[in-house]
Parts: sequence; C-alpha cells; structure tokens
Amino acid sequence: MAGDVGTTQSREKRRPAWLDGSLGLVAVGSLAVVVAAGLVQVSFGAFTMPVSQAWLAVVDPQVWTNPQFLLRLFLGDGLGTTVAGALGLSTAEVDLAKETLVVWRIRMPRVLVAVLVGVNLAISGAIFQAVTRNELASPYILGVSSGAGLAVLLTLVVFSGFATLLPLTAALGGALAFVLVYAIAWQNGTSPVRLVLAGVIVSMVFQSLQTALYLLASDLAVVQSAIAWTTGSLTGVDWEQVRLVLPGTVVSFVLALAGARQLNVLLLGEDTAQSLGMSVERVRFALSAVAILAASSAIAVAGIVGFVGLIVPHVARILVGSDYKRLMLACAFAGPALMVAADVGARLALNPTQLPVGIVTGLIGGPYFLYLMRRRSNLGDL
Amino acid sequence: MSDATPTTDGEETASTGDAGSNDTDRPADGESAAPELVGEALAVGYPGTEEPVVECETLVLPRGEVTALVGPNGSGKSTLLKALSNRLDPETGSVVLDGTEVQSFGSKELARKLGLLSQENESPGSLTVEELVHHGRYPHRGFFDSVDETDRRAVERALELAGVEDLRDRPMDGLSGGQKQLAWIAMALAQDTDVLLLDEPTTYLDLHHQLRVMEVLRTLVDVREVTIGVVLHDIGQAARFADNLVAMKDGEPYDWGPPRKVVDEALLRDVFRVEADVDVDHPTGPHVSPHRALDETEGR
Repeated sequence: MAGDVGTTQSREKRRPAWLDGSLGLVAVGSLAVVVAAGLVQVSFGAFTMPVSQAWLAVVDPQVWTNPQFLLRLFLGDGLGTTVAGALGLSTAEVDLAKETLVVWRIRMPRVLVAVLVGVNLAISGAIFQAVTRNELASPYILGVSSGAGLAVLLTLVVFSGFATLLPLTAALGGALAFVLVYAIAWQNGTSPVRLVLAGVIVSMVFQSLQTALYLLASDLAVVQSAIAWTTGSLTGVDWEQVRLVLPGTVVSFVLALAGARQLNVLLLGEDTAQSLGMSVERVRFALSAVAILAASSAIAVAGIVGFVGLIVPHVARILVGSDYKRLMLACAFAGPALMVAADVGARLALNPTQLPVGIVTGLIGGPYFLYLMRRRSNLGDL
Repeated sequence: MSDATPTTDGEETASTGDAGSNDTDRPADGESAAPELVGEALAVGYPGTEEPVVECETLVLPRGEVTALVGPNGSGKSTLLKALSNRLDPETGSVVLDGTEVQSFGSKELARKLGLLSQENESPGSLTVEELVHHGRYPHRGFFDSVDETDRRAVERALELAGVEDLRDRPMDGLSGGQKQLAWIAMALAQDTDVLLLDEPTTYLDLHHQLRVMEVLRTLVDVREVTIGVVLHDIGQAARFADNLVAMKDGEPYDWGPPRKVVDEALLRDVFRVEADVDVDHPTGPHVSPHRALDETEGR
C-alpha cells in the first residue's frame, strides 16, 4: 500500500470542490421558478393592466437608468437620496409611467420580501438541522415560533398600544424563547437531545398561553390579524419590509457561509468535533444565534411561515449532498423559489381573498413528506 | 525507557526492556520527537457517580510505543482513555503531556498534539473518504484559512498510511464497517498528532480489517514514532501488536509491562476470569488459548 505515493501526491489541481453541476442546476432551476412566479405576481392585482405591459414595466429603462430611484426603494427616501448624492449620482425626482409605479412600488416588494424570507428560513433550517443533528429540524425547533407567537398575541391583545412595534416584538419574542430554551437545556453544556427537549417544553407552555390569549381577544379583526401572523403572511408588505429584512438576511447568510466548515465538522458528531479541537458548545451557540437572527428577520416581516425551513434544506441535501458550503448556496436559491411560488398561490388562488402564505407552504410541505416517507425508510437520520 | 516504569499497586513491577515485536530499530529515548503521556494519581468519575470509576497511581504511555489498555467490560479502560485525552476532568491527579498538563492547552492546540478516535463514529452518508480525511486538518486551520499545501500533503500521507487511497472518492455509506474504520483512522492521522488514542478500533470488524488496523498502528509507531494508546478487547491481539500492556481490573491497573512479562495464566484468570494456556515463547508474542469461562467463585 506504500507503492504509489508519488503519483497520488502529484494529483492535478482540481476546480473548487464545492462547485459542480448539481449546484448549478439547483441555482438555474430555482432562478427560473423565482422569475416565472415573480412575473406572475407583478402582472396581476387590483390595478388591471395587460400582462405584456407589466413585464415591460419590470424592465422599464426609466427605472434601470436612474439608480437613485432604486436606492430610494431599497434604503428609504431620505437615506437613498443621501447615498445617491454621496456616490455622485443624480438625485433628481424620476418621472415614471403609472404602470411602472404600480409594478415597482406596490407589487415588486412582495416578491422581494418572499425571496429574502425564503433565504432566511432555508439557511436557518439548514443550520438547526446540523446543530440538532436531525434532518427533520426546522428554524422553529428551539422554541422560536412559540415565543414569537406569544409575543404577537401579547402585543395585539394585552399591549395593543404597541401594535406598530409588532414586527419587532415578534422577532424579539422568538429570540427570547431561544435564550430560554438554551438556559433550560444547559447543564454543564448542552446536547442536541436536551436542546430539542427544552424546545418542546418551552413550545408547549408558550403555545398554551398563546391559545389562552385568543380567548381574551374580543375583536374579530384582532384574531384575524393574530392568525395571519402566526401562520405567516405576506399580505400588504411594502418596501419598508424589504428594508427591515435585508440587513439580517445579508449578515446571517454571510455568517452561515463562513460557518459552513464548522457545521460540517459538527455533523461528524460531538466526540469527533471535540477531538478535532472544536469548542463544541461555543460553536453550537454561535451557529444557533446566526440561525435565530435569520429566522427572527423572517418573522418580523412575514410572521411564522412554516415548512419552508424544513423542506428546503431537505430537498437541497438530496440534490447537492451534505456539504454545508454547497448546501447553504443551494438553500439560498431554492428557499426563494419555494417561497415566491407559494406566495403566488396565497395571493391569487382565491382572488380577491388572500390566504396567509403559511397555509400554502403547509399544503405543499405535507404531501412532500408523505412522498419521502413512502420512498425512504430511514427518514430522520442525518 | 527506564523512566517509564510505574509501580502498579504492589503487583510485580515490570521493566520494559523486551517489548513485544518490531522494536529493534526505534530511536533511543530523548531523540524521539514524540512526547510521552503520563497520568499521575488519577481518580476519574462521571458527574452523578459518587465513587470514582477509575483510580490509578501512575500510568505512562511511553514515547513512540504502542500501549494497549486491556480488561473486561466495565473495567475502566475507556474512562481512563477519556481522562488521558482531556475529555473527562479527573477528580484528583493530572495528565501530563511532555511536561505540560493537558488541561492547560487550548482545545485546538491540544488537538494538534493529541488525537482521539472514539469507538463509534457517524458521518453523513454522502461524505467521501477524502472529504472526511480533510476534516482531520481542522485544528491546523484558522477560521478563514483555506486548504493549503501542508494540508493536502498531510491528507495524502494519511490516506496512504491507512491504505484507503483507492476509496478516496467513495461516499462513506457505500463502505463496509472495516473500510469505514480505516477511513476514520486516516482522518485521525491527517490530524498529524504525536499522540494518538483509540477506543476499541477493532471491535465489530472482520479479522482482515482488524489486522489492517493494527498494522497501520504498528507502522505509525515504527515509521512516524507516534505515541499510541489503544483500548483493545482482544488480549491476543494486544499481546501480538503492543509494546506495553496495561491490564485493567475493577477500575485499577492490575499489571503493566511488555506482553511477554504481563500475559500469563494468572492474568487471564484474575482479570478476564477465563482458564487459558499461554505460550509465552510463541514467536509473535505470547499466544493465548482460552479454554473456558470461570464462574463467579473460581475466578476470585
């Protein structure tokens, strides 16, 4: 076995191992879905216009040749104008056709929020699946959904004066529940099983409290609003929501990619990770915090959308394998694809009534797992 | 090697003059780069147990040699290994790696000096052997470092030493138990440590792969002068491949020394509670022929 050292050592340099056909396919396929579903979204709405005109509005040269318009959309009017000025761009007002304004100001943000929420939920789920070493983990496994749900109900029913801060309280409630879960699970360190159990405990208690609060709500509108939040909905999202979710998305995605190798080593089991010199507890907490940042950002704008964070990493793993660098990239493409497509159903299926998008993702997610269950016997192992 | 002669609870004190097989062309002590690992006045237990599980006055893994920990189930071999690898904090006593207590190393720093391969390892099924072995470089890489030439060379060397070059592109879930174990050993080798501890690396393997694993360990010691501590289930195998044996009984070392000195009928009776013949003069080391299990009263 010692004969051919020389030949193997001079193996030629290969292209980056994480880049290959399956990942490219996921990226292209997902992009196609996002673009197709996005075009459907911008074509229909209360203001009727021919489909062709809506598509032309998307590529309206007036938009793309006036960066100050886009900067104002993404950064807000004040900051956008300042940045445009600082970059030496024109800060003049842009005169746009009515169709272009409808598409860009009203319909486009919903697509963009769906994209960003899709990215967040998918990478959050992927991280939690590694942290808990459970293929069926979701972003909400450590109590985040119940914490956010309880915070939503508390805000709407008890502290209704703070209703404008709802996005913030929801995200904060989720993060607090996560901290509580960690504190309960901690006993000279944690373990995946103890974390999941603590998550179940906190979820149970918070969910009971949440249900109890429904009974105190006297107003049907409040109940409907609460249901929309706890099921996850993109109804009425605007550029303000894009601006709200974008920073958390960028930060958590960059950190998740940087942590890909840590996640890979964590997948080898706690013992091995420790033997390799990893401070397992510290890394586990840091990665969980990244996942919570992603999930909370999503919750702040869309409420508690289920199944996306569970299915997308799962599908991505089947398509590109378990390496987390590739998995994260695949998630960042496939998450938006599912989210944008599901939102088409949520917005247009029962037009003019809009469904919470979480209902649609649930309707897609259930049958997918049924299919998996039939096809594979060892579901759950990672 | 004379500094590596612990006393073992009033049992006969062994000298390490004549160590098993293959020890002829090892460099003299002091010149070797490999450090020795010493446990002193150890009492080791788990959170929640009152009595320590293992108590051990002195335990030495001499530099550049294979030391096998043997003993029946529950005799404290694995616990001792955990204490030696800083996985369990001893209640009293200390573990010293070449003059420095293991607790005082940072986790990555220790992982560059001391490797530990657990008994059971699980990996994602689609991970290839080469990818797994690359993870062995973890302690040598900073958070943002990419794979460099040193890493690549270490991985190639590890694949070659463990004899799994042919399997490099195969996913882990397509391998037999023995091939998997060799891949894991290759990962531990890529870690490039001077001390390597292994917990029952041959259990559950077929005979061919058991011998492959032991031969890899032997090569490591003979070629790279690594200090190895290995928990073994099979006393015959330990006698054949190890330079030193530590026989554990009820959480304490029963005897310590080279196989030809330590393995005899009395040891098999007292520690393993079997009646056996031992051919001490067998050319490959003491040869054990077990006959029957002694019942509760006979063995004591």
